[in-house]
Amino acid sequence: MKSAPNVDILPMACIGLILVLIMMRIAPMTITHTRREVSVPVAQTAQREVQNDISIALTRTDSLFFNDQPVENLDQVSNLVAEAVTRDPYVLVVIRADKDCLGSRVLEILAAAKHAGAQRIVCATKRPKQRG
Amino acid sequence: MRGRRRETRTNEGLILNSLVDIALSLVIGFMVSMPFFFENGIFVSAPSTARAAADQAGSTVTANIYITNDGRVMLNESQIDEHDLLELIPRLLNRTIDRRVYISNDDSVAYSAVIRIMDLVKRADSTASLAWLRTRRRQQ
Repeated sequence: MKSAPNVDILPMACIGLILVLIMMRIAPMTITHTRREVSVPVAQTAQREVQNDISIALTRTDSLFFNDQPVENLDQVSNLVAEAVTRDPYVLVVIRADKDCLGSRVLEILAAAKHAGAQRIVCATKRPKQRG
Repeated sequence: MRGRRRETRTNEGLILNSLVDIALSLVIGFMVSMPFFFENGIFVSAPSTARAAADQAGSTVTANIYITNDGRVMLNESQIDEHDLLELIPRLLNRTIDRRVYISNDDSVAYSAVIRIMDLVKRADSTASLAWLRTRRRQQ
């Protein structure tokens, strides 16, 4: 009696795992504008759901990005937010500032977004890693 | 001979149990770990909105938090431990009309310190709305 053919599924599982890891890394970047590396502060409260929004990033080196595109100053940010608000008055403005930035600098961005007419503004945070 | 051949054919076929197990584990792993890859956020009122609300007539009780450069946290001009906010904020907000907490800080306070306080306020009362002010607001 012949034994059943032994199919080695280990390589396939490895490929599957790699695909899942790649997908996990890419999915948040494609759904939200988070290609720019910013270490956002940690917070346990989470209120924001993933949706089509606009992102203003402030890096540790004080560089500003609007939807991952570099911008010169807050006036430019304000103009871009105003354009987005014209298209959708309820657009969600996500401020992704590095945790080491000054609070006053983030507040300037918040004020610029508000001045441009943004009604819904969110400060991006990250969930803390759960401890065993 | 014929009988033996038939027996061999019935035993052929892929064993999918382990494949299904691995696929299921991958899906579960993916589902569990996704929230940690996405960013969340705290809704914050911008300064001008907060100022407008402050001018409205209503309860005189307000929740004003001020963070100093040296890390001290003042709630309505009284220095407190930041973890006391969990207990104090719900009590204070129950006596306000707009359920809004006004947060202001010195110029050199790190953004992470402000977010930590906002997080504590939200943990204390999830219905509280946050207003981040440029200037220090004092109890009226």
